[in-house]
Amino acid sequence: MTLEHCLILSAVLFCIGLLGALTRRNAIVVLFSIEIMINAANLNFIAFWRYGDNPALLHGPLFALFTIGVAAAEVAVGLALVIAVYRHFKTVDLEKLDTLREQ
Amino acid sequence: MSQEVTFWILSTVAVVGALFAVRLRNLVHGVFSLLVFFAALAGLFLLLMAEFIAAVQVLVYIGAVGILLLFAIMLTERVTGDDARRVGSRGWFWGLAAAIAVFVVFLLPAIQQTDLPKTAQPVESSIEKLGKQLMDPYAVTLEVLALLLTAALIGAVANAQGAKPKEEDSK
Repeated sequence: MTLEHCLILSAVLFCIGLLGALTRRNAIVVLFSIEIMINAANLNFIAFWRYGDNPALLHGPLFALFTIGVAAAEVAVGLALVIAVYRHFKTVDLEKLDTLREQ
Repeated sequence: MSQEVTFWILSTVAVVGALFAVRLRNLVHGVFSLLVFFAALAGLFLLLMAEFIAAVQVLVYIGAVGILLLFAIMLTERVTGDDARRVGSRGWFWGLAAAIAVFVVFLLPAIQQTDLPKTAQPVESSIEKLGKQLMDPYAVTLEVLALLLTAALIGAVANAQGAKPKEEDSK
């Protein structure tokens, strides 16, 4: 296990999240694809902290901790928005939510 | 050596879990697969000596975010989500092409061309120091995060509450 392995794993996970966010039409699946991408970034923070200089300063875990907090806030508001959108349009299919587009 | 084996097992589980989460048609199965991905990532954090982050990962992601996603799925559509035609449509090919292109063009060269440190620094258990750091130089950040979480809580409740019953009566 070297830093390069961790970074490649994190890049693969990021691209899987990107694939989900680009290809799925369900708003909830898009939200949790974004969660996968955020987690890949967190893995990078921890790996760079572990292999970088000065691990005693704990920059990696602190940054990962704040990222997790922000991601939790994001998913709470995002899911509330999805529920509000569903109540209004009766669907969470992103292709059908096009009322701003010119008909 | 055993660390090596654990890393490969955990990374395989993480990649397979993420792939299933993104591709499964049934959303509930997808969320459970996502939980497997989160658990594998918590294991990887443990392996990288970040015990506190691993615990936070289990509490926040497996505990809170997973349940929240399950609730959102049950409150909205039928659990099968997109139908088979949409999961395997032409957009799927272009999405795959875009994801692979990002990986090959941006991420992989950046990793391979950088001179990365080869060996890990020795680190001791860090939870006590993490707590002290959060109280001394990062106290303001912690407060701002607390404020953000409170705002998100109020915003989520206000959004999800929906129409008042008085308006429904007039309908």
